[in-house]
Amino acid sequence: MKLTNGFDISASALTAQRLRMDVISSNIANANTTRATFVNGQWQPYQRKMVVMQQRTPSSFDQVLSASMGQANVGEGVKISNIIEDDAPFKSVYDPSHPDADENGYVQMPNVDILKEMVDMISATRAYEANVTVLNASKAMIVKALEIGK
Amino acid sequence: MIESTLDAASLRQKVIANNIANVDTPNFKRTEVQFEELLQSQMRNEGNLVGVRTHENHIPIGLPKNQMPEPQLQTDQMTSMNNNGNNVDIDYEMTLLAKNQLRYNTLVQQMSHELGMIRTAIGRG
Repeated sequence: MKLTNGFDISASALTAQRLRMDVISSNIANANTTRATFVNGQWQPYQRKMVVMQQRTPSSFDQVLSASMGQANVGEGVKISNIIEDDAPFKSVYDPSHPDADENGYVQMPNVDILKEMVDMISATRAYEANVTVLNASKAMIVKALEIGK
Repeated sequence: MIESTLDAASLRQKVIANNIANVDTPNFKRTEVQFEELLQSQMRNEGNLVGVRTHENHIPIGLPKNQMPEPQLQTDQMTSMNNNGNNVDIDYEMTLLAKNQLRYNTLVQQMSHELGMIRTAIGRG
């Protein structure tokens, strides 16, 4: 039995939530970016990015090993399997003085919704805090176990 | 007996950690560790009918005396908490975490106490 397995589970979640936070930061930072990618001689606005979270399952070797040792198979935390782009349409904003405005004076702005990003950010922060609490609890348990027989 | 319960508690710690780690994973279903219930029913059934097994594939009827039950993992497939199919209730998991930690500390203290008694018995108290 791996003693620090619980640490790895919480650590994977901390990594995932931090990456999620990075993606949210990128979305908010680029909320007004009209020149993100250059496609067919034309600048495209920034597309909102989202993370895809997936459960991390033990490798097949680990599964066979723990099954043959009669140990229960717990998952191994979480991972971000992909970062996808939001296909929602860009916002059209009337701003004729903008350098990227079309002939009618409309500018294609990124499909980033600041409110949505803020809510996601709070969710990521809280999830991060919860996982830090779990990590501390696991640590306290192991420290306590070292006291056996003292 | 304390060892098995400690093992179950540390397994439960991992399971809770995994549940909380997957709090935002779509279609994740939470898992629970069953041990105390099994232990209780085992203790209640002690001295009852026990089926003789002559082959390892025989279905066990009642556990033989002094044999500890194995902690069982149970995944809750039926419920859904969120609209993404996830059923982890973070508040509930945090409560379970606190409960499990206290139980673990109690068990460690109990074990230390038992070792202390043995030490007294051999005259090194």
